[in-house]
Parts: sequence; C-alpha cells; structure tokens
Amino acid sequence: MSDKGGKGGKSALKSPASKGKDSKGRKVQFDSEDMFDEKFETNGNGNGKSNGKDGTPFAKGKGGKGDKGGSSKKEPPPLLLKVEEELPENAKCLMNCEAAQILQGIQDHMVLLSKDPTIKIPSSFDRALQYANTGNFYTNPHSVRQTLETLKKQDVSDGEICLIANTGIESTKKAFALIPSLKAKKSKVKESLGTALTELNKLKTVTESTIVLD
Amino acid sequence: MFFHIVLERNMQLHPRHFGRDLREKLVAKLMKDVEGTCSGRHGFVVAITGIENVGKGLIRDGTGFVTFPVKYQCVVFRPFKGEILEAVVSMVNKMGFFAEAGPVQIFVSNHLIPDDMEFQSGDMPNYTTSDGSVKIQKDSEVRLKIIGTRVDATEIFCIGTIKDDFLGVISDPGTTS
Repeated sequence: MSDKGGKGGKSALKSPASKGKDSKGRKVQFDSEDMFDEKFETNGNGNGKSNGKDGTPFAKGKGGKGDKGGSSKKEPPPLLLKVEEELPENAKCLMNCEAAQILQGIQDHMVLLSKDPTIKIPSSFDRALQYANTGNFYTNPHSVRQTLETLKKQDVSDGEICLIANTGIESTKKAFALIPSLKAKKSKVKESLGTALTELNKLKTVTESTIVLD
Repeated sequence: MFFHIVLERNMQLHPRHFGRDLREKLVAKLMKDVEGTCSGRHGFVVAITGIENVGKGLIRDGTGFVTFPVKYQCVVFRPFKGEILEAVVSMVNKMGFFAEAGPVQIFVSNHLIPDDMEFQSGDMPNYTTSDGSVKIQKDSEVRLKIIGTRVDATEIFCIGTIKDDFLGVISDPGTTS
C-alpha cells in the first residue's frame, strides 16, 4: 500500500522508514538474540538488573511491561548441558586428560616427522594442548574413564562424565551445583557418583604424590 | 570440550603430485587445509589423528585435477552452553573481562561477575572483593560457565558467567568464590 502514489510520499516517509528499521533490526537481533537470551537466563540467577534490556529482544514496546513483571516471577530454567543433541552421532567426547595424551603424542610425532617446512602446527593446536594440560588432573586417563563409565548405568551422559573429569570435582554437592542436568537424576546417581568421585580423588592424590616423589 | 570425530572432505590434488607418495601428499594437504579451521557444527579442528579411508579419485573435466574423498579422524574442540571451563584471563576492563580456554575466547560481562566484586582501574586493572581476598586480573585462572556461543566462519565467541556457586578464581584454591 505505502509503495503506491506520490501522496503517500511524505507520510510514507515515516511509516515505511520505520518498517525498514524493523526489518534491519531483525537481522541484527537475530545474531544477538542468542546472547540476550542467555543473558536473560543468567541474570535471572542474580538480580533483575537487566529487566529493561531483556524485555526488548523478545517483544518490542508492549511486551516491556509484561516482561518486567514476568521476569521477577519466573524462575529461569537452569542451563542444561546438551552435548549429545548438538553433535553428530559418530562423535565421542574426550576428557581433557585423554585429549592431552593424544595431542601430546601428535606433537612429539610432529617434531620428528615434519620435514616439510610448509606444514606448521597451527596456533590453535598449541592453545588446545596447553588448555588440555592445564585442565588435566590425572595421568592415567584409562582408569579415570573406567571409574566414570560406571555412572553410565545411572543414565549419566558422556558429556556429563567428561565435565566431571575436566573440572576435577571432589564432592557430590559441587557436582550437582556445577552440572544442573545431574540434579534430575539425583536420587539415582548420588550414591554411585559419590563412590566414583572418591575413586577419582584417589587417582588424583596418587598422581600428586608421584610428582612429589619424582 | 574435546571430541574425537570422523569427518569427510573432498581433496583436490594436482597431477604433479601423482606418484608413489600420492597418499602422503594428500594427507599433508589435508592437514594444511583442515587443522586450525573452525566450523559452527564441529568447532575447532585441533589435529588429525588418522585417515580412515581415501576413496577413488575423480578427474575433473578440463583441469586435470583429481578429487579424492578422504575420511579422517580428528580431535575437535567445541564449547557448549552449560559447560564449565577453566580459563585464563587475558584482558580486564570496566565492561568485564576476556578469558581464553584453548582456542576459544570467552567474555564475562560485569553483570555476570558477583556483585561484591568491583572494578579497580590502574596499571593492572582488576575486579576485587571489598576485603581484597579475591582478585581477578590478567593471567588469573577462573572457572566459568558458558551461557552463550556465537559462531563465526573462523572463530567461536562465548559469553560466560562466574556468578554462580563454585565459579570464580581458582588460581589460588583458598579464594574460590
């Protein structure tokens, strides 16, 4: 409608222009929506500081009021780890200690094998190796995997298992706090998780004592 | 989080590389092309760990190049929403701080830093608690939770929080918030 006629020209300047903004705005929001979404979730955990900010991406104008009221009432759902849903089937989660072992092996080989000067180890490799080594609490990934595999019977996913190993969690309380998806299985998991964490702690202390002895 | 995954890629090879070491040339090219790249679905390809299969080559009309389908195993690194990461702080400013976990950069906004921590400017900008017991500055190690990710063609950016139980500085075990 507004495309027609010269009359509409002046008045149309306002309305289509604002529409135009809307459509441009949509593009920008599409990218940032995710972030705002996330901010919304997290800020809900703390104070309702960003009510105004959060209101805007969801519903413009009218929604603002409702959102303000809503955000204070609504308990935001905890951010659950959904590794399996987002990855292809043939992917296997690796614990940092496993990744560190693989990457260290590759680096050792590269020093020997890379006669071709055009092949350079990318910086992301070094960073990843450094990260894997920093977050590596165990020297024997096999026994860590064996210990945590027992939790699979209680429906603990691969992603959760890796997260437990990567964070070096010592207590079940900490595990439930850091990995909210475990809370749903709390009654089922608690006992075996406690046992597994005790076992893991033993593996950790063995590692530390060997380092001291060395 | 690290993953082990099998991926496939069509590799084009110039006829000058054909010979006894064709496979080696192919693998070298694959490593050069793939390692260090980043995709939204798989994350950063950190390293190729093995070649599963090199398919039959197909000559491309008019060029002489041959396309080989190569299946390879690799280690990838991808952050997930809800994941807990231990990251090293790389920059602190009044908006928040940037931290690095492997090849991934994470931004923690000041809204997602506990309220009792305040920004202190100076030579070494930092966030400090009122009693000075906990300090976040460059090179501090922090445990954070990823709450948002944005994937670029070559990079993954994350938004993190330390405003939750058992998150915060870990470089000094006594000061974990």
